[in-house]
Amino acid sequence: MIVVTLQRKKCIGCNYCVELAPLQFQMSKKDGKAVLIRGIEKKGFYTIKSPDETIHEVCDLAAKACPTKIISVKIV
Amino acid sequence: MKNSDRIELMAPAGNFESLQAAITNGADSVFFGVDQLNMRARASINFTIEDLPEITKRCEERKIRTYLTLNTIIYDHDLSIIKTLLDAAKVAGITAVIAMDQAVISYARQIDMEVHISTQINITNIETVKFYALFADTMVMSRELSLRQVKKITEQVEKEQIKGPSGKLVEIEIFGHGALCMAVSGKCYLSLHSHNSSANRGACKQNCRKKYTVIDQETGFEIELDNEYMMSPEDLCTLDFLDQVIDTGIKVLKIEGRGRAPEYVAKVIKTYREAIDAYYDGSFSKEKVKNWMTELEKVYNRGFWSGYYLGQKLGEWSDIDGSKATQKKVYIGKGMHYFPKSKIAEFKIEAFDLTIGDTILITGPTTGVEEFELTEMLVNDKKLEKARKGDSCTIPVDFRIRMSDKLYKIVKNNP
Repeated sequence: MIVVTLQRKKCIGCNYCVELAPLQFQMSKKDGKAVLIRGIEKKGFYTIKSPDETIHEVCDLAAKACPTKIISVKIV
Repeated sequence: MKNSDRIELMAPAGNFESLQAAITNGADSVFFGVDQLNMRARASINFTIEDLPEITKRCEERKIRTYLTLNTIIYDHDLSIIKTLLDAAKVAGITAVIAMDQAVISYARQIDMEVHISTQINITNIETVKFYALFADTMVMSRELSLRQVKKITEQVEKEQIKGPSGKLVEIEIFGHGALCMAVSGKCYLSLHSHNSSANRGACKQNCRKKYTVIDQETGFEIELDNEYMMSPEDLCTLDFLDQVIDTGIKVLKIEGRGRAPEYVAKVIKTYREAIDAYYDGSFSKEKVKNWMTELEKVYNRGFWSGYYLGQKLGEWSDIDGSKATQKKVYIGKGMHYFPKSKIAEFKIEAFDLTIGDTILITGPTTGVEEFELTEMLVNDKKLEKARKGDSCTIPVDFRIRMSDKLYKIVKNNP
């Protein structure tokens, strides 16, 4: 199981995560920040849990590229 | 309040503490960012869209102009938030927007909002001023111009009667004090290359402020350099030639530092306020400059130089990682209560100790920044010389303090 988390408030809208993991992230037209697709919010943290381990690589790239380091990817 | 014959002193405001410090210490205008689309996006200190009415409320009372910085590069996904921000700024009564991207300029004009052209656009000649006069009433010049070049531009504005959308002559603004960037007017890509963190989206990682060595790849020899901080310019300071700065005919002097502490804003604005007023009343003197410089050195600085204003000499590089400030603040405690009738402030001491004779600093979102020497206090209701961690202490002060206020003492700093 892959767990991806986005701490959305700190996003500066640079778009890197969307470039690297376009199926998991998109930019909100409303506030210009990244959205973790189908993420469930809890105290400002958006999380998805996916059995599809193939997403690990792209999400990990997005996490590494994020300038504000607000994306975390874990295998549980 | 701005006197139209005098230059406008513009202060940075990264939060309410700094905003209040700017207001109290004599700024004519303030500039600030909201959320992520400004050149200090990474800072956790930015205001939010909900803060805009409070900012204008505090500034309008003192007739201080308010400028929203919206000066990053803009992507398609930002277009909607730009409109939301500008609409909110317009409703809140913000005076103008400081813009770089044409999308911001265009929408601001659509809703009839005053536009200032950011230094990020890099204006270096009169034809560019004419071009942007179609949209903007104030333009910040490139930081790499000399005073002679700035003067030529202001003279041409007057001579050719270059007017902005307001129908008034366009106002020329320059940077007066604060951090300088190794790249031309902030257009730097180092941080983007090293950390995917774009300076032009307000997320500079400050690569230039670090130590570097240069190695000859052929021989492996380390090339000898006088200065390991080879990319870190000293801070700009125009105070000692402020008379020449004002004589160029500029209308606005900007103090940089939205990322710096409130006491920095207080000290720098107070000093430049005095210097500008001294210029106009004819008392600007070398003796005063000396005292003012001592004051400026007390707060964060990387050493001072005159930028490119006095000629196109190569930058002067800082020889230090952080600040050369001669003073620093140490956290002591927090505000507990204010007794308005007796004008007594109560603080809880949470760290270190406090002694009669200490210079203390009180900062808070509404209080702003207040600094004074401690001459008397009661510690746990007894008149004592020293208060220690855990003590409750009361100090007579003639301004209201609040529970959100923090108490510091000022100590010498040995950088």
